[in-house]
Amino acid sequence: MSTHLNIALAGNPNAGKTTLFNHLTGAHQHVGNYPGVTVEKKVGICQHGDHEIHVVDLPGTYSLTAYSVEELVARDFLVNEKPDVVVDIVDASNLERNLYLTTQFMELGIPLVIALNMMDVAESRGISIDTERLAGLLGVPVVPIIARSGEGVDRLLDTVVQEAAVGRRPDPILLRYGSDLDEAIAAMVPIIEEHHLLTDTYPSRWIALKILENDEQIIDKASQVNPGVSERLLAISEEVTNHLMHTLDAYPEAVIADHRYGFIKSILHQGVITIRFVGDRLYTSDRIDRIVTHRLLGPLIMAAVLFGLYTFTFNYSGTLVDGLATLFATMGDMVDRSLPDGPLKSMIISGAIDGVGGVLGFVPIIMFMFFGIAVLEDSGYLARVAFMMDRIFHFFGLHGSSVMPFIISGGIAGGCAVPGVMATRTLRSPKERMATMLTVPFMNCGAKLPVLTLIIGAFFSTHQARYMFLATLASWVIALLAAKILRLTVLRGESTPFVMELPPYRFPTIRGLVIHTWERTWQYIKKAGTVILGISILLWAMMTYPGLPRDQLAGFAAERAQLLAASPPQVVAAMKKGSDDPAALRLAAAIRKIDARQAMAGLRNSAAGRIGVALESVSHFAGFDWRTNIALVGGFAAKEVIISTLGTAYSLGDVTTDKTTSLRQRLAADPHWNPVVALSVLTFIMFYAPCFVTIVCIAREAGSWKWAFFSMGFNTLFAFTLSVAIYQIGMLLGLGG
Amino acid sequence: MTKKHPDVRFHCQKGGRCCLRKVPCPDDAMPLSKACCRGRVRICRIRGDRKTCARMAHLGLLPGSELELICPGRGNKCMVRVNGGTISLDRPVAEGILVTPA
Ligand SMILES: Nc1nc2c(ncn2[C@@H]2O[C@H](COP(=O)(O)OP(=O)(O)OP(=O)(O)O)[C@@H](O)[C@H]2O)c(=O)[nH]1
Ligand SMILES: [Mg+2]
Repeated sequence: MSTHLNIALAGNPNAGKTTLFNHLTGAHQHVGNYPGVTVEKKVGICQHGDHEIHVVDLPGTYSLTAYSVEELVARDFLVNEKPDVVVDIVDASNLERNLYLTTQFMELGIPLVIALNMMDVAESRGISIDTERLAGLLGVPVVPIIARSGEGVDRLLDTVVQEAAVGRRPDPILLRYGSDLDEAIAAMVPIIEEHHLLTDTYPSRWIALKILENDEQIIDKASQVNPGVSERLLAISEEVTNHLMHTLDAYPEAVIADHRYGFIKSILHQGVITIRFVGDRLYTSDRIDRIVTHRLLGPLIMAAVLFGLYTFTFNYSGTLVDGLATLFATMGDMVDRSLPDGPLKSMIISGAIDGVGGVLGFVPIIMFMFFGIAVLEDSGYLARVAFMMDRIFHFFGLHGSSVMPFIISGGIAGGCAVPGVMATRTLRSPKERMATMLTVPFMNCGAKLPVLTLIIGAFFSTHQARYMFLATLASWVIALLAAKILRLTVLRGESTPFVMELPPYRFPTIRGLVIHTWERTWQYIKKAGTVILGISILLWAMMTYPGLPRDQLAGFAAERAQLLAASPPQVVAAMKKGSDDPAALRLAAAIRKIDARQAMAGLRNSAAGRIGVALESVSHFAGFDWRTNIALVGGFAAKEVIISTLGTAYSLGDVTTDKTTSLRQRLAADPHWNPVVALSVLTFIMFYAPCFVTIVCIAREAGSWKWAFFSMGFNTLFAFTLSVAIYQIGMLLGLGG
Repeated sequence: MTKKHPDVRFHCQKGGRCCLRKVPCPDDAMPLSKACCRGRVRICRIRGDRKTCARMAHLGLLPGSELELICPGRGNKCMVRVNGGTISLDRPVAEGILVTPA
């Protein structure tokens, strides 16, 4: 008999839900050692015996009262989709707090199996748990597992299948919350049942509880369905709230929470937990924290760690990057030699090889960077970075929870703003969330990294690590300033307090690190091979068509013919043979000059060229010439193409024979470019409009296109202002060389 | 600081503290931000706006809970260990938590 089951993985943040999900479904969803990694539900399938199990991984929550978007995702799924079994992932090393959510599942009366995860951690801390007894006392099956290694997972699935076979929806447990609240609930339940207020979705007692807990979403829903009855319920709630404020000096939530914790304690004290180590032994984690988050030492350590990461990345990836660049140049050469001249050849070289190769060439840097970040993330250090940055962020109108979205977007270098925008879901205040969402695109994502590396390499220094570090610092400063501006103007509002759980330090597993690094690198490669390839070809077409009008073509042909006719026949013959006779070489160079002029005229006349030239009237204030404009416009589609577009635009006008001259050398030699222009372009690229995909993502997360367009306009204007300032001041000071 | 968290002060000055007066708060009770690094303490009162209070309650920060302080920031920042988990708080929140030595 084959059956089909729906299960959901729910639990506290950082309890190991996604680790279990990956183990069950073979997926490679992101796992990280900080709370709030998963912000969207993920679906997968796993086969267990005859059973096909559909698994949903949910964002973590501390309670079923939803305060932030990602908590809402979890709760809505659990109460609306009604999975056959909910697997509650409980961190065994932190039982009391984790069971708090369990009691709420039990209040809701959903079919539950407890997976007691991280048994290895509990073990190492000397905590042993009598799972049988815990199961008996709670009336819920409990299976100990280690999600990382997969230990116990089979038994967990057996239990899940059994529970589903029984197919009962357990009665909600009746906890007591003190006489005042119990009376209020007793008064509210009959009213709710009489009018069937939301009762097809939720248990009536639970609705009463949520109204007492001042759960905005439930109160809104109830008021929409039946305003009259809701009024009555709210009146009861208000009365008891006032009473509690008088007698206990507390809101109902606090009293309810206190009773839930009381219930948990009463269970745990019945011999469920034995702790072998006595006294107030400090966990290693706390010892490390005393040093790593120290007021003075902490920031120094942080700077050292990040700088170390940069040095590691740029020093060790350098040779690989050069190797890849040569590889792609050779490929271009081969195509050049083996294909006849024409649009196809031009498309393959300028569109495909340059476009994709320009991006793939930076894979080593990206990979090293991701590896380093994975180490920081899996060890738990990044959560401390968020903790230390909170005060600074607070000052600029953001929140400690904004730090992670910044880092994901490339705050350390080499992320992506799309998951960064998604990660803002952990922020509870809508205004802080908006401000974060609008400023994360300022970070140096993986797509901007190649351009920055290139321009820095061409104009500033061979010490790329040092300068990239500076660029990163600059991006943070600018992002924070922009956030402050937003928070003082369009997003004015108070800031919310910072209360965040810090994960324990863990040793990253090699397997975890490898999967992590590879997954993200693969995303980057895949994007280069698909989206970027498409956009590159499109841009190539825009830069090629429409071709030059016939009379101009004829003009160039005539010039060439004239030149050949004016030269002695033996020199022409020698040139055609490729001899290195000085006269022949001179003639070849003269011809190439004409070719280059023709190519430039062609580019200028193309669709993209016309756009670039049109923009020059504005962009010259910042020192961008029309060819740079083409690349910047292309960057709207995806920042990766900036580099290949620059490559194409600048190779066309090139007169040297050497096809493998790198773009870096070309830019450095181009009369239009100098360090001031380079800095101005660099700044613009770092801060102008987010790429198209990010825009779409912002629109979706913000719930309106208004903000998406705002971010396009605001960022571009902001970046342009900075660039103009840099260019004008730089030129005034005569730094343009 | 106070301006950024008007709720905290507002409530407290009006006497409307919002988390559970279950444990008596003696005169020597002090804000958590001043208690660093005193090892183990017990919360006797929490002040703050309704949402913050609720969230802290969910995390187990309630009057009566025992905390262990891990304070690297001399009160600028507070890290507390409660129920085996570590929770970090910013200063305004820490100022609103009154503790006594446990
Ligand atoms: N030692 C040990 N570590 C584990 C185990 N399971 C998960 N982890 C680690 O715990 C951390 C959190 O794991 P995740 O799977 O991302 O947690 P999550 O519940 O999905 O977290 P959110 O998505 O933030 O809600 C990661 O660093 C895992 O490697 C386990 O059984 N033993
Ligand atoms: Mg997860």
